[in-house]
Amino acid sequence: MNIHGSVVSAQEIVLRTEGVAAGYGGEDIISNISVAVEKGSILTVIGPNGSGKSTFIKVLAGLLPARAGEIRLGATSIARLSAPQRVAAGLAYVPQEFNVFANLTVGENLRVSTEFLERERRASAEQRERVLAMFPEVAGRLGLRAGYLSGGQRQMLAFACAMMAAPTVLLLDEPSAGLSPKFVAEIFDKVKSVNAVGVTVVMIEQNVKEALRIADIVLVLVNGAIRLLATPDDILTKHDLHKLYFG
Amino acid sequence: MTAYLITILTLVGIVAILGLALNLQWGLCGMVNFGMAGFFALGAYTAAILALAGTGTLAATLAAAVVCAAACGVVAVISLRLSEEYLAILTLGFGEVIRLFVLNEEWLTQGSLGLPGIPRPLWGVVSEKSYEALFLGLLVAVVLGLFVALEILLHSPFGRAIRAVREDDIVATTLGKNVVMLRVKAFALGGAIIGVAGAFHAYYLTYIDPSQFSATITAYVFMAVIAGGRGSNIEGTRFLKDLFNVLDATQLAAIRLILIGLGLILFLIYRPQGFLPEYRLKTTSLVRERPSVSQSAS
Amino acid sequence: MTAQVVLNGLVTGMVVALPAVALTLVYGILKFPNFAIGAMLTVGAYLALALNVYLSLPVLYAAAIGAAAFAVVAVGIDQAVFRPLRERSAIPLLVASMGVSFVLENIVRFIFGNGARSFELPLARPKLVFGLRINNEQIVTAVAVITAMAVVYVVLFHTPLGRAMRAVSDNPALAAARGIDRERIVRWTWVIAGFLTAAAGVLAGMDRAIDPLLGWNYIVTVFAASILGGLGNPVGAVLGALTVGVVEETSTLLIPPNYRQVVSFCAIALLLLLRPQGLLGAQRIKR
Repeated sequence: MNIHGSVVSAQEIVLRTEGVAAGYGGEDIISNISVAVEKGSILTVIGPNGSGKSTFIKVLAGLLPARAGEIRLGATSIARLSAPQRVAAGLAYVPQEFNVFANLTVGENLRVSTEFLERERRASAEQRERVLAMFPEVAGRLGLRAGYLSGGQRQMLAFACAMMAAPTVLLLDEPSAGLSPKFVAEIFDKVKSVNAVGVTVVMIEQNVKEALRIADIVLVLVNGAIRLLATPDDILTKHDLHKLYFG
Repeated sequence: MTAYLITILTLVGIVAILGLALNLQWGLCGMVNFGMAGFFALGAYTAAILALAGTGTLAATLAAAVVCAAACGVVAVISLRLSEEYLAILTLGFGEVIRLFVLNEEWLTQGSLGLPGIPRPLWGVVSEKSYEALFLGLLVAVVLGLFVALEILLHSPFGRAIRAVREDDIVATTLGKNVVMLRVKAFALGGAIIGVAGAFHAYYLTYIDPSQFSATITAYVFMAVIAGGRGSNIEGTRFLKDLFNVLDATQLAAIRLILIGLGLILFLIYRPQGFLPEYRLKTTSLVRERPSVSQSAS
Repeated sequence: MTAQVVLNGLVTGMVVALPAVALTLVYGILKFPNFAIGAMLTVGAYLALALNVYLSLPVLYAAAIGAAAFAVVAVGIDQAVFRPLRERSAIPLLVASMGVSFVLENIVRFIFGNGARSFELPLARPKLVFGLRINNEQIVTAVAVITAMAVVYVVLFHTPLGRAMRAVSDNPALAAARGIDRERIVRWTWVIAGFLTAAAGVLAGMDRAIDPLLGWNYIVTVFAASILGGLGNPVGAVLGALTVGVVEETSTLLIPPNYRQVVSFCAIALLLLLRPQGLLGAQRIKR
C-alpha cells in the first residue's frame, strides 16, 4: 500500500471511494477523497479538529450526500443509496452521539436494528446469540430503557446494534469519545474481536495512540484532504504527525 | 360603479391592516398567529362597545388597540420559552375562546344578535353620500401610516434585534438582548394593529355579529401574506382584491376557501421565497437532529 | 350526580382519545402538530354519514369502511402536502396543515352544505347501571375506543412496525442508520392516525349533530389532551384525553356548557406555563 491510496497488494477491496467531496453549506468540507479499503482490515482516520473526519464517515454512512465522486461497496455503487439501503447492502454505522434509541429498551434497540431489513438479511436466532455473546454487558440488561444506560454501556449497545445487521463493513465515529479509560480499552478490544470475525472496520478517532495501536492502515485527513495513507509503523518511524497536522 | 369600487377597496384596506400585523408577527418574528379572527373580533367588539357607550371613535380605536395588544402579549408570554408550534396552538385556542365569549356573553355583546348602530369616525364632516369616500381616505391614511411606521421599525435597532433573535436566540442572548421581552413586544405590537383593523371593521359596517369573524378571515390574511411575501405588503393586498367576491352563497364561499387553502399549500411548497428563506431551513435535518431530552440529560 | 358527570366525562374523553393519539403519533414522527385534525374528524363523520344515509349501510359498517377509506386519504394528503415539506421546520408544516384544514372542511361544506345531519340509528332507551344512566352510543363508544386503544398498544409495543415507529420518533437519523425506511414508517403512521381520527368522527357524530364544524369544535380539547400527556407520547395522549374529558364535563357544573373549549384552553395555558412536557412526555420542547 503506497502513500496516495492506490492499491498495490492483491487483497480484495471491499470499500472504495474516488474523488468524494461533501459539505454542509456553501463550501466543501472534504474534497477529492480517494481511498480503497481491503477486506478484513481496520482503517483508522485521524486528523486535527475540523479536518472533516466526521463529515467523511457520514458520507460513507449515507447521512450526508456526496457532492462529487463515487463510493463502491464491493462491486456495487452506493453513492446514490439512502442510509437504510446501505445497511441492506452490508454497511453499518455507529454514530458518536445519540447512538441508541433512548425511549426503547435495550432488547428493543437490538430488535429494531434488524427487523426492517430484507428477510435474508434479518438476524437469525444464531446471529442474535452471537451478538449477545460478544456483548455480555448488553445481554444482561435487555429490559432496561436505553436512556438509563451509562455512556460506556450505550456505546456497547450501539456497537451491538450495528452488529445485529451482520455488516461486511462497520463504520465507527469516534468510538472512545467521552469514555472512561476502562471503557476505552474495552471498546477497542471489541473492535478487534469484531474484526477478527471478518468485519472490515473504518473508524475515525481522536485518540491517536489507540488509533495507531489497532489499525492496519491509517488515513490522515487535514483540512478536508488526504495528507497521508500509511501503516502505523510507517507513521511512527517515518513521519512527523505534528507537522502533518499543523505544518 | 364607484360605490362598488370604494366598497372593495375599503374591505381590502381592512384586510391590508391585518396583513401588516401578520407580517410583523409571522414574517418578522416567526410567530404564527392562528387566532387572527379572534383577535380581530376582540378589537371590533371593544371598539364597538366603547363607541356605542359614547367614548368617541378615536378613544374606542385606541382602546381596541390596547386590549388586543395586551391579549397578544399574554398569549406570547405563556409560550415564550417553547418551540414555535406551541404559540400556534395557543393562538388557535385563544381565538376559539374569544369566539365563544362573544357568542355567549350576551349582556355585553348581544351574542348572535350582534351590535347595531355603531358610530363612525368623522361622521357629519361631509354629506352622507360622500362619507364612504371619506372613510376610505381615512383608512388609506391609516394603512400608509402603519406601513411607513413598520418599515421604519424594520430598519431600527428593534427590528434588527428581532431578526437576530429569530435567526438564533442563543446568539442573540449572548449579545445581551432581552430575548423574551423582544418577542412579546413585537407580538403585542402586531396585536395592537389587529385591534385597529377590528375597530375600522366595526365602524365601516356599523353592525357586527359573531358570524363575521370566522376562520375565513384568518385564511385570507395568511394567504395575503404568503402570496405577497415579506416586505411587499402591497402585493399581498392586491392579490386579495383579485380573489374578493361579493357573492355569498355557501357553495361559492366554500370554493373560495378551498382555493385559498390550496393556494396556501402550493405557495408553501413551491414558493418558499418571500420571507420564508428568513427561516432556518432544516436542510440537514437527518444529520443535525436535536436530541431527545432523556439522552441529553445523562 | 358527580358519578354521572364523571362517567359522561370519561366517555367524551374516550372519543377525544382517538384523535389525540393520532395527533401525538404524527407529532412524534414528523415533529409538527397537525392542525387539520379537526377537519379530518369531520370528514370521517361525513364519509360514514354518506355510506349510512345514501347506501343504507348500518352505522358500524359505514364507520369501518369510511375509516379505512380515510386512512388511505390521509396517506394521500401526506404525500401531496407534507412530503414536499419534509425537510422544512415545523412552521411551514403547521401552516400547510391549516391549509389542509380549510380545504377539507370546505369540500365537506361544498358537498353537504352547512346544515346539521345525523346518522340513521336505531332508537334505544338508555340503560340504568348502578344508578347511572348509560345510553347505547356511550356503550358503543367505550367498546370501540377500548378495542382501538388495545390494538394500537399492541402494535406500538409488540410488533416490528410499532418498534420502528417509536425508533423513528425517538431519533430519525439513527433509525435510518439502522436500516429503517422512514417514508414507510410515515405512511403507516398516517394510516393509523387517519383511521383513528375518522373513527372518532363517527363517534362524535353519534353524540352531536354532524355539520362542517364538527371536528373544529373538538380541536382545542384534542390539543389539550395531547399536550397534557406529552406531545409524542401515545399512552400519555390517552390518559390526557380521559382527564380532559372528565375536567371539561365537571366544569359544566360551574360554567355554561358552551365554554368547554375554554376550559381546555386554560388547561393548555397552565400546562405550557408550568409543565410543558406534560405528564409523561420527554420530547424536546424548548427552542
